[in-house]
Amino acid sequence: MNILGIELRRSAALGAALTTVVVGVGAIYVETGRWSSGWMPLAMTIREYLLLLWPLALAAGAWQGRREHRAKVGELFATTPRPRAQRMLPVLGAMAITLPVAYLLVTGAGIIWIINTAQHLPLLNFTVVTGVGALSLIAAAWLGLGIGRMLPALVTAPALAVAGVLLVFLSAIRLDDRLAAALNPVHGSSLFHPYQTIDNRVSGALAISTAALAVTGLLLFVAGSWRARTAAVVPLVLGFTAAIAVVPRDPDVLNWPVDPVARELVCTDDTPTVCVSRIHANVLEALTPLAREGLTVLAKLPNAPTAVHEDTQTFWLDEVRPRRSDAVTIPVWIDERGKLAHPNAVLPEIVKRLGVSYDMQCQNRDGVVERAAAYWLLGREPQSDVGVVPGFVFEDPEINAEAVMLWQGLRELPDDEALARVTAVRDALLVCADISGILPGRSAR
Amino acid sequence: MTWTLLYLRSRRVPLALAAALGGAAVVWALYLAFAEERDVAPTVVVMTVLLMVAVLAPTLAGPDDDLDRTASMRWPWRRSAHLLAALLVVVVVLLVTRSTGARFGPVALVARDAAGLLGLTALCATVVGAARSWFLPLGWTTVAAMYPLTGTWGAAATWQSQPPDNDAATLVAAVLALGGLVAYSIAGPARREVSEDV
Amino acid sequence: MMRALSTAETAPTTHPWVIHAQGLQVRAGRHLAVNGLDLTLNTGVHGLLGPNGAGKTTLMRALATVVAPSGGRLTLLGQSVDGRADLRPVRRALGYLPQHFGFYPRFTVREFVAYMAWLKEMPKARIPAAVQRSIDRVGLTAKADARLKTLSGGMLRRAGIAQAIVNDPQVLLLDEPTVGLDPEQRLDFRELLRDLGTDSCVLVSTHLVEDVAAACTDVVLVNEGRLVWQGTTEVLIAQGDQSHAGDSAAERGYSAILRRHRAEAAR
Repeated sequence: MNILGIELRRSAALGAALTTVVVGVGAIYVETGRWSSGWMPLAMTIREYLLLLWPLALAAGAWQGRREHRAKVGELFATTPRPRAQRMLPVLGAMAITLPVAYLLVTGAGIIWIINTAQHLPLLNFTVVTGVGALSLIAAAWLGLGIGRMLPALVTAPALAVAGVLLVFLSAIRLDDRLAAALNPVHGSSLFHPYQTIDNRVSGALAISTAALAVTGLLLFVAGSWRARTAAVVPLVLGFTAAIAVVPRDPDVLNWPVDPVARELVCTDDTPTVCVSRIHANVLEALTPLAREGLTVLAKLPNAPTAVHEDTQTFWLDEVRPRRSDAVTIPVWIDERGKLAHPNAVLPEIVKRLGVSYDMQCQNRDGVVERAAAYWLLGREPQSDVGVVPGFVFEDPEINAEAVMLWQGLRELPDDEALARVTAVRDALLVCADISGILPGRSAR
Repeated sequence: MTWTLLYLRSRRVPLALAAALGGAAVVWALYLAFAEERDVAPTVVVMTVLLMVAVLAPTLAGPDDDLDRTASMRWPWRRSAHLLAALLVVVVVLLVTRSTGARFGPVALVARDAAGLLGLTALCATVVGAARSWFLPLGWTTVAAMYPLTGTWGAAATWQSQPPDNDAATLVAAVLALGGLVAYSIAGPARREVSEDV
Repeated sequence: MMRALSTAETAPTTHPWVIHAQGLQVRAGRHLAVNGLDLTLNTGVHGLLGPNGAGKTTLMRALATVVAPSGGRLTLLGQSVDGRADLRPVRRALGYLPQHFGFYPRFTVREFVAYMAWLKEMPKARIPAAVQRSIDRVGLTAKADARLKTLSGGMLRRAGIAQAIVNDPQVLLLDEPTVGLDPEQRLDFRELLRDLGTDSCVLVSTHLVEDVAAACTDVVLVNEGRLVWQGTTEVLIAQGDQSHAGDSAAERGYSAILRRHRAEAAR
């Protein structure tokens, strides 16, 4: 009869793994929109939920670590020849099997959701990020086993669980970036932009500190004396020091680095060209007709743009790209099924700035004028951005009222005249000149 | 007095109390040492209340429930006194910090969460036993503290981490507190405790 | 060339006694519960009798290598047992049922006995058959795959005996094994004891003189940490007469020896 098999069935390892699967799958499926866009977002979202899973594994370990004390088998086991360290191995093994399997099952449950939509798979990064996540569960469980055996009281497990939550949470938000990146399994997993990844060097440092934590837990668990328990701290100190020493210093590598391959544009073969980032490549087909429709609307203007590109600039990256007049850049949203979200927003997004991409440095913009001109091109009455632009929840009604007024002014003009005015607005936008006086009915500032 | 002391010892109260106070003290000291602002972040306040409640949870049952039941004294009053004393401990300890450099509050939040969580814990103790009674409160509160929701139903589902003036959260906490108090006082902890859960 | 000899090499291949204690002292807390006890035992079933507080359980714990002796000499199977010695070879040949038998409630009987067999470092291939045999011998075959937490007190005691005998121990120490057994089970247990005693040294600590009289080949009587009397069951029975307390001949013999010993000690 296999002892490891017995421990797999009878120890807390199985229950802990089941709870991990339930909590993990539940957590990711509560909001699939957070990670439906691809493989790395999935891997990182699950890593973020270590905020819940890590303390769970810690508490499960502590619960299990109390077993010999609780069952009062100390006297009986003291008469057996097998050394204590060997006696502890099956439990350590059971935890080290079930918890990573649970983590992988959660990952698998997420993969099922995205398998048909996600196309960009950076296999190495995905494997490393997932692997380190699974490893950190082993470390948590082993540490829990060690502490639970050292302090075999009923209060140990709940106290450790709460302490674990606070530890992971506070060290993620309070610690210096380098320390957090080297020690905290949650660091860098919150998604701030779609092309985000975790650098393998950062994962390497985290793997070192996590492995050190696991070794300390193991030594605590097999230790028979307080001297041995004190010695168990040594690997922890060494591992943490090594991890902090090797973790990269560059903040752009530590925090929300961009996967350049994911951000690369992939385009349609035929014209007019429509391009999206590689991570969103699966929505290109759905986006293309909508984008081309927008280009057709813009084509009324002379020298209109002939291509639509996804806006791959991110708020978190400081770089400024040259403004292009031949291509419109628009944001691409992904829905919770990994498909194109807000298809109705594509046309307004292309037309609303008359094809001129937004430049954070240019202060000479006038939303009212732009909206009136854009809706004249669309041939519709201007409407509030609320309900048109995703995520927009409030707008001063004055703005649209003014836009409608300007739009009516444009409509009263002969078509040629109106087109000339709208073109003038576009040209002014391109060079970042004042546009407020161009349309009739609105005075210059 | 002797009787009370014996009762407290039989419930391992000294250890649980030490762990509850010690845990709160550690969080308090860390905040005092490292945080700039005086008011402790609500998430940390919620987690600290949870810590104290979870650590006090095992005291809801003695070493032998069957033996307890054979006693001729009236348990319901003692059980409710036990719960109320636990509530008092949590609230008073965190109230004391109001006059220090790291303030746990607001009072309404602490009182609501302490009462609601103790009620939930007591409820769980009547169903699955005191040793396991902290599972659900801990899991629920952790999720609620990390991922609070909005809207009436969202607030009810994550009542622990809502602002103290949220009515839905207060209602849920009150229902749990009263339900737990009544159920635990009358029924007592579930009867399958002794060294069974290995 | 010189080299250190290991204990296994220096030990005589045939030891005169399975259990040999000379002036043995064992502490229970701060108090010397076993104080200068001399005892020699060989193959057979030996009953360990004595009043409460006589040091029976402490003696059993010392023999089971749970506590190290604080004085005197103790050899098990020819090997000296003290704080420094490597106890593994002795422990492989040991079976022990403690007075308070601790167990994992979620394990089945079979799993727990197999776990104990593994802890006793039995060869892996032999474990399943040995587990089945020991469970059969204590009459728990029907309950072999029931979880320990579902068993009654008497069944638990038998599961405890099963784990003690799973490795066919040469030294078998049973501390109050008959607690919780019904009369019929006690008869079966006596049968089992006689069987076990044919090739191992079995020491049964008990308060039930009847069990000793029925199943033991000889009797060890201790009081206040010392050996009071050792002899065969027949001689024990012969010690008593109608003037001594007891409902059976063995009980009267026990009372007689104890009374005589107390009288001598008082002098």
